[in-house]
Amino acid sequence: MKAILFYIFSVLILACGIFTVTSRKIYRAAIFLLLTVVSVAALYFLMEYTFLGVVQLVIYAGGIVVLILFAVLLTHDSGSLLPPLGVKRTVATFALTGTGLTVFLYTILGRKVEPGSGEFNEPSVKMIGGQLLDLYNFGFVLPFEAISILLLAAMVGCIVLAMKFSKTMN
Amino acid sequence: MLVLLRYEFILVALIVIFLLAWLIPGKSEDRSLSLFWINVLLFINFLFGFIPVEEGVLFNNMFYTNEAIGVQKMLLNFGALIISLQAYDWLKSNRNAFEFYLLLISTLLGMFFMISARNLLMLYVGLEMATLPLAALAAFETDSKRSAESGIKLILNSVLSSAIFLFGLALLYGETGSLHFSDMAGKLTGNPDGYRDTTLSLLLVFTGFGFKISIVPFHLWTADVYEGAPVSITSYLSVISKSSVVFVFISFLYIALKNMAPLWIPFLMVTSVLTMTLGNIFALRQQNMKRFLAFSSIAQAGYILIGILGASALGMSSVIFFVLIYIFSNLGAFGVVSVISAQTGKENLDDYKGMYHTNPMLSLLLLLSMFSLAGVPPTAGFFGKLFMLMAAAGKGYYILILIAALNMIISLYYYLRIIKSMFMDKSESPIAYFRSSIYSRIALVICFAGIILTGFFSGIFDYFYSISFGI
Amino acid sequence: MGTESLLVLFFAGLFFAGAALIVSALIHPTSKNPQKKEPYECGIQTIGTSKIQFKIGYYLFALIFLLFDVELIFLYPWAVAIKDFGVIAFIEMFIFLVILLLGLVYAWKKGALKWV
Repeated sequence: MKAILFYIFSVLILACGIFTVTSRKIYRAAIFLLLTVVSVAALYFLMEYTFLGVVQLVIYAGGIVVLILFAVLLTHDSGSLLPPLGVKRTVATFALTGTGLTVFLYTILGRKVEPGSGEFNEPSVKMIGGQLLDLYNFGFVLPFEAISILLLAAMVGCIVLAMKFSKTMN
Repeated sequence: MLVLLRYEFILVALIVIFLLAWLIPGKSEDRSLSLFWINVLLFINFLFGFIPVEEGVLFNNMFYTNEAIGVQKMLLNFGALIISLQAYDWLKSNRNAFEFYLLLISTLLGMFFMISARNLLMLYVGLEMATLPLAALAAFETDSKRSAESGIKLILNSVLSSAIFLFGLALLYGETGSLHFSDMAGKLTGNPDGYRDTTLSLLLVFTGFGFKISIVPFHLWTADVYEGAPVSITSYLSVISKSSVVFVFISFLYIALKNMAPLWIPFLMVTSVLTMTLGNIFALRQQNMKRFLAFSSIAQAGYILIGILGASALGMSSVIFFVLIYIFSNLGAFGVVSVISAQTGKENLDDYKGMYHTNPMLSLLLLLSMFSLAGVPPTAGFFGKLFMLMAAAGKGYYILILIAALNMIISLYYYLRIIKSMFMDKSESPIAYFRSSIYSRIALVICFAGIILTGFFSGIFDYFYSISFGI
Repeated sequence: MGTESLLVLFFAGLFFAGAALIVSALIHPTSKNPQKKEPYECGIQTIGTSKIQFKIGYYLFALIFLLFDVELIFLYPWAVAIKDFGVIAFIEMFIFLVILLLGLVYAWKKGALKWV
C-alpha cells in the first residue's frame, strides 16, 4: 500500500519538477513548483514525519511559493513567454546535471548500507518541542533564539530595500 | 554560565538599544549626534573584549569559548568599529543609517555564533546570519543600479553556496551520526570504508567555505559584488566577513577533521596555489580600485590557506596575526578609497594620478597599506606573511612556499603601480585637497599606527601563539 | 491513521475534483460567443490583460507574512511541549517573540504596513 502511494507521489514530484523547469510560462512554472512542493509534503506524511510535512506545507507551499508568485507579478512582462532554450544551453544543462547525478549515484551506490537496528521512532511534535526548549539534554535553545535575530535582520533588510524601491517608483 | 556568552549578549543589547532608540521618537533630528553615540557604543563593545575570557562550554557543546575565540571576536569587533568610523562620511547623509548598523551588528552576531560553534547546526545558523543581511547591505546604496546588482549577485551566490554547504553537512551528519565536532572527529578517521562518501561530503563543505572566503575556483562573484557595493560594505566583506569564515574553517579543520588531514591538505594546497596565482593575474589588469582590491584580497586568501596548512599552533597563530595585520592594511587601503569616494565619487586608478601633491597624507597611508599588503619588510604585512610561510615550512611544504614567494613578487608589481600613479604620474586634474571628517581621520590614523607598529611588538604574536592549538 | 486512509483520500479527492469537471464538461450547454470570455458579461469593458505589474508594496506584506509564518512553526511544538518545561519554556518563547515583535513595530513605524 505504502509502495503504491510512494510511487504515485514520486512520479508527481518528478513530473511537476520537470514541468517547472521546462514551462515557458512563468506563472505555470510557479504553479507546478507548488504542486512539487505539496507532493514532497505528501511523501513526508507517508513516512510519518508529520511535523516536517506540516512545515513543508505551511512554509513552502503557503509562504514561499506565494512569495515567488508575488515576485513574478512584480516584473514588467510576466505574461510573456520566456525565450526557448538554445541547443547549446540544453546540452550544457544535461551535461552538468548528468555529471552531478553520476557522481552522487556513484557515491551513494558505493556505500555499504547496513540494515538499521531497532524500531523507527516517529519524532512526535512533543519530542521536537522538547528538543527545542531543553536547556540541558542536547536542546537547541541557542540556535532557536539566534533565529529570532536572523528573522529580525531579514525583516529589516527586506523593508529597507523594498521601501527604497517603492520610493523611487513613485 | 551566561558570562561566557557576553560578546553575543552585548551585541544583542546593542541591537535592542538601537531599535528602541529609533522607535522612541526623538526631539532633535540631529543625525551626526546619534552616529556619534553609535560609534561610542561600538567602542565600548570593543573595550569589553579586553576582559579575559574563560574557557567554557554551553548548551552541550553547542557553544564553546576560550581565549583564542575571545581574541578572534575582539578582532572582528575592532574591524567593525574601524569600518563604522570610516563609513561616517557616507552615512551622515544616508536616511537609513540606523538600519545599516542593525544589519551590520546582526552579521557580526552571526559571525560570533559561527566562531563559537562546535556543532554543525549552530555553525550553519551563524553562517546564514552572517551572510543574509550582508546582501541587503550590499544593495544599500540608494538609486544605484550597480549596488542593487551587487546585492542580487551576493544573495544568489551565497544562497547557492549555502545550499551546497548544507548538503555537505547533511551527508557528513549521515556518515557520522553526530552534529558535534568532537564526535565527528572520532568517526572521521580516514579509513577506506566510506572514504568515498566522506570525500564527496567534505568537497561540498569545502565548496561552501570556499565561496565565503572567495578562494579560486569559487571566487567569480567577488569582483562584481565588491565593485557595486558601497565601499564600507566592500571592506566589511573583504576583511571581516572573510576573516570570520577563516577562523571557523580553522576550527572545523583542526577539530572535526583532525584525522582527515591527508584528505584536506592536498585540497588546500591546490586551491591555495590557484587562488594566489589567479588572484594576482587578474589584479594586474584592474582599473577600478574596488575591483583591484577585490582581486588583491583573493590573492591574500591564498596566503591565508598556506598558513592554515601549517596545521599547528604556529599555523593558527600566524593566521590570527595575519588577520590582525590584514585588518589594518586592507582597511587602511579601503579607508582611503572610501574617503575619496565619499568626497569626490572617484574610484578609478587614473583618478589617483598625482594625488601626492594634493593629498600627501592620504597618499602616504595608501602607500603604507600597499606595502603592507605586498609584504615589504618594515611594514607589518611582511611579518604576517613571514610567520605563515614559517608555519608551512614547519611541515616541509617548500614548493608551496616557493610559489607563494613568486606570487608576492608579482603582486609587488601591481601594488607599486598604484604607488607610481599617486607619486610619479602627472595629471591634469588631480583629486583636489580636502579634509575628511574627524571620524575617518581617527580610523585612518589607527590603521597607520597599526601597520607600522604591529610588526615590532613581538609580544602580540607570542600571545597569539600561547592561545593557539594545532592538530 | 494508516496509509490506507491516505490512499483513499487521494483517490477520493481525485475523483471528486475530476468528476465535477468531467460531468460539467459533458452536460453544459455550449454557446460560442466572445462575450462569454469576458470576466463580466455586462458592465464596463475590460482594459488590457490581467497580467499587470503589481506595486512592490504588496510584496512587503507577503514577506512579513512569511517571517511570521516561520515564527508560527516554532510556536506549534512549543505549545505542545510547554507543559513539561514550565516557566523556562515560557521565558524562552517570550524572548523569541519580543525580538520579532520589535521587528513588527519597526515595520509599522517605518510605514511598511501602509496599504496604498
